[in-house]
Amino acid sequence: MAEELKTLGHSTPRIDGLQRVTGRATYSADVQLPGMLYARVLRSPHPHARILRMDLAKALSAPGVKAILTHENCRLVWSSGDRVNKRYLFNNPLRFVGDAVAAVAATNRHLAEEALKLISVEYELLDFVLDAEEALQPGATEIHPGGNLSPIISFRSTEPGKREPSIYMRGDVERGFAASDFVFEDRYVSKHVNNAQMEPRVALAHWEGDKLTVWTPTQGIANCQRDIARDMNLALEKVRVVCQYMGGGFGNKNQCQDSDLMAAQLAKETALPVKLELSRKEDFVCVHGRWPTSQNYKVGVLKDGTLQSIQLRGYSGMGAYRKSGGGISGVEYFRCPNVKTEIYPAYTNTAVSANFRGPPYPQGVFGIASILDDISHELKIDPVDFYLKNVTRKFRDSIPYTSSGLLECIRQGAELFEWKKRWHPAGSQQGPIKTGIGLAAGGFGASVGRSSAVLRLDSEGLLWLHVGVTDIGTGAKTTMAIIAAEAMGIDLDRVQVISGDTDRTPYSVGESGSRTTSHTGNAIVEAAKDLKQQLAASGPPQGDQVLIAEATPTPRLEGMVRYSFAVHFVEVEVDTELGGVRALKYVAMHDSGRIINPLTAASQVKGGVIQGLGMALHEELLYDENTGIPLNPGYYGARVMTHVDVPNVEVHFVETEDAYGPFGAKAVGEPPIVPVVGALSNAVFNAIGIRIKELPITRDKIIGALS
Amino acid sequence: MKSFTNVNPKSRQEVMALLKKAVEEQQTASLAGGGSDLLGMIKDDLVAPDVVVNLKDLRDLREIEPHSQGVRIGGLVTLQELSQHPLIRSQYTVLAEAAGTVATPQIRNVGTVAGNICQRPWCWYFRQGFPCFKHGGDRCYSVVGQNQLHAIFGGGPSFIVHPSDTAPALMALEARFRIAGPDGERVVPASDFFVLPREEVNRENILGPDEVLIEIELPPARQNVESTYVKIMDREAWTHAVLSVAAVLEIDQGVCRMARIVLGAVAPIPWHLPHVERMLVGQRITTELAGNAGQAAVSQAQPLAKNGYKVPLTEALVRRTLLSLAG
Repeated sequence: MAEELKTLGHSTPRIDGLQRVTGRATYSADVQLPGMLYARVLRSPHPHARILRMDLAKALSAPGVKAILTHENCRLVWSSGDRVNKRYLFNNPLRFVGDAVAAVAATNRHLAEEALKLISVEYELLDFVLDAEEALQPGATEIHPGGNLSPIISFRSTEPGKREPSIYMRGDVERGFAASDFVFEDRYVSKHVNNAQMEPRVALAHWEGDKLTVWTPTQGIANCQRDIARDMNLALEKVRVVCQYMGGGFGNKNQCQDSDLMAAQLAKETALPVKLELSRKEDFVCVHGRWPTSQNYKVGVLKDGTLQSIQLRGYSGMGAYRKSGGGISGVEYFRCPNVKTEIYPAYTNTAVSANFRGPPYPQGVFGIASILDDISHELKIDPVDFYLKNVTRKFRDSIPYTSSGLLECIRQGAELFEWKKRWHPAGSQQGPIKTGIGLAAGGFGASVGRSSAVLRLDSEGLLWLHVGVTDIGTGAKTTMAIIAAEAMGIDLDRVQVISGDTDRTPYSVGESGSRTTSHTGNAIVEAAKDLKQQLAASGPPQGDQVLIAEATPTPRLEGMVRYSFAVHFVEVEVDTELGGVRALKYVAMHDSGRIINPLTAASQVKGGVIQGLGMALHEELLYDENTGIPLNPGYYGARVMTHVDVPNVEVHFVETEDAYGPFGAKAVGEPPIVPVVGALSNAVFNAIGIRIKELPITRDKIIGALS
Repeated sequence: MKSFTNVNPKSRQEVMALLKKAVEEQQTASLAGGGSDLLGMIKDDLVAPDVVVNLKDLRDLREIEPHSQGVRIGGLVTLQELSQHPLIRSQYTVLAEAAGTVATPQIRNVGTVAGNICQRPWCWYFRQGFPCFKHGGDRCYSVVGQNQLHAIFGGGPSFIVHPSDTAPALMALEARFRIAGPDGERVVPASDFFVLPREEVNRENILGPDEVLIEIELPPARQNVESTYVKIMDREAWTHAVLSVAAVLEIDQGVCRMARIVLGAVAPIPWHLPHVERMLVGQRITTELAGNAGQAAVSQAQPLAKNGYKVPLTEALVRRTLLSLAG
């Protein structure tokens, strides 16, 4: 770590920032092809219904209409739309409001929209259930054959397991409770919130002979290519996925979306390019958001606050299809000899729940941070001391971390935040306007693993970096260029990044799970070593010569776990009469190892804090319980944070030394949202002395709790 | 969206002729001022006009004109212009503040004052296209549904709240509205413009399909008047009020001589509180009196299952607003 770094570690504006902010960047929706058709999707107006009859005659004869897909004429399976059940592009029965009924391609957008209204569908209405716990009650309507408890799935396997809750255990919780001086129990509820990334889903599909090209915003061109090839029954090399610029994803664009397949199939049938654009409302209801949870905790402690036993029984509402894990995580950040977590993922007739930044954590940290905060309050222990005593030293108390700045984040953060000066016992302030402070801790795996990079050095001294990444807003293109420049010892402006196109780049792991910097960054460092050896052996290339180096390292961690950590401190002001909550001061402490680009890393932290505050204070996809129809999809209705809602967020990095990432970098992307909701919940409790146990912490709940 | 004909009339007469023709031919005509709400409603399939009558060329409706009897505000004056106008800011503060709280800068730059007054409800059932009273249906889905944001006064059979920020301010200022119709123009007090659902369930004001709100007339500014608009929102921008208070007080030597208090977002129309005003006139506004006024403001409230919090919220905001003005 001692060597002087020329580019890496210095704040660097994004290499494509100017194009993005001046409107010159070509996003997927901007791509136009000659003769292109537009597609629109008819959506189920009912939460659970069987299609009895469809009549397409009128729509097919409407002006400009070229093709219509339905469950009757299109039996394609959208495999990444459900990891357990066979989810077709068009399903019957329909399982949530927004489930696709038909897709129409027409010569322009308006004709496609008008044609949707001409499709007549006769539905048989079925019972529906919106809540995960209700869905598991005897007699609840069955959303998939076999009942509403969704099977165990793991990231390692696509083979679904048994219909049992997902259980983690160490020690013996009952013995732990018996050995405790105090045992606390409580229940917390979190809601479905949408990723709300700026760019909605869009797909443009074009066939040239038997080769399919799809322009689509995706957090992983290689994954998307593999998904499309599998579902369309094509060889991998017959599918090209392009994503040059992207307007955010936050987990919403991990996999291939059904719109990619619909556009591809419509393009095939019409022999014309087809663009399918999802509206903001469709993006909120028909893609996916964070899974809602209910969490029942039982925690045993000694008088001095030492944790003895933690038990969690939780329920996750996965919506109508099983796209993702559905865990509730946060307990893992604490050392405790006896732990049992038992999670029930359940189908509901609602929008699908799947990955959203730090998928199982913000909601889980809200729960565990809330009950532990209540415990430190009851035991009259300062929360900072409680955290210093109880946070994890080894993963699950057994496996060492490759590096951990967690304790340092707590200590330094408390100083920077002036915790001791601001602290007062919960609810002790007089008057209607009260302040309160809170903290919470979290983290996210900073895995290492297989990814590739190709470096090509030409005789002009330009370094062409081919990486299969898409810059989803994290600054990955810039990060990759910085790593290459530093590894080769050249200036950043000599690096040309080729990315976001499966025909022009090697495999990359995909922009999810905070993996790109470590996985693909390591590949760049490896390839650079090779290139430098070639240079040393044969000298710089001359004329038309190029030197090419490739690396696909597959690093593994033996007997260790690699994590990034985050500890957040927040001060809020609560107006108890008007029910409003405002964040006054926010300090975000992060251990992400070596920071490659402090500018974009800090921006990512701020973005995560903003999203977390939205989840804590505003957002919830609200359903009408009588009809099963969502009431507030979209930026306006969901009250996604605006600029004026955002407090000043102070970001500090504790740069631990970690030997496993490129130049010691760990992960930045996922962790920032993880502790936010827990910290905010604790600050509100400290202000008003009452715990709001259900998200979001809105005016009606605060006024209701205090009256 | 369904295709429609856009027409840009050059005069009021031409506007009236277009609306009359549409009525005669049983076509739906929609008026566009800034169009910010209309375009969204068309895109969301909530309205499907055959004709959009775009008023942008009616230049004389874009002026704010002070004169001896008050101020004339053309219906096409934008919310941004209204919020920044020096005379409105100094003499009719409540109106400038109300206009400045609407939505976002982008919307305030195109949105007009007449459009703000005449915007359709923002009830989520209405905006999601439920076949409710406001869409010509036979029920209000909020009654047994998600009614957190719905009416605590004047509800039934529909429980929408009036979404306008400028409307409560204009009622508090005793503005008058000039309406152009097929038989010429008429002027009505702002308080007679809005209608409760029990009188007329599928519209929020007295405008017929062939009528246009063209102008707002403010009375002359009075001495010793302080006014303000306080808006409670669930985020800091781009959302409608959960509750708002428009208050105008004339205070001479510490004694309240005149008071106008109108609430927004608690009833299907801007909700005037004359009984509270009577408590204040002739009195010094003390903490105790303001507290009593807050209690009186909500004495008639009839909350639904999920909007009970609006009652103590209204009580507190009325009290605080009076104290801040009197202070």
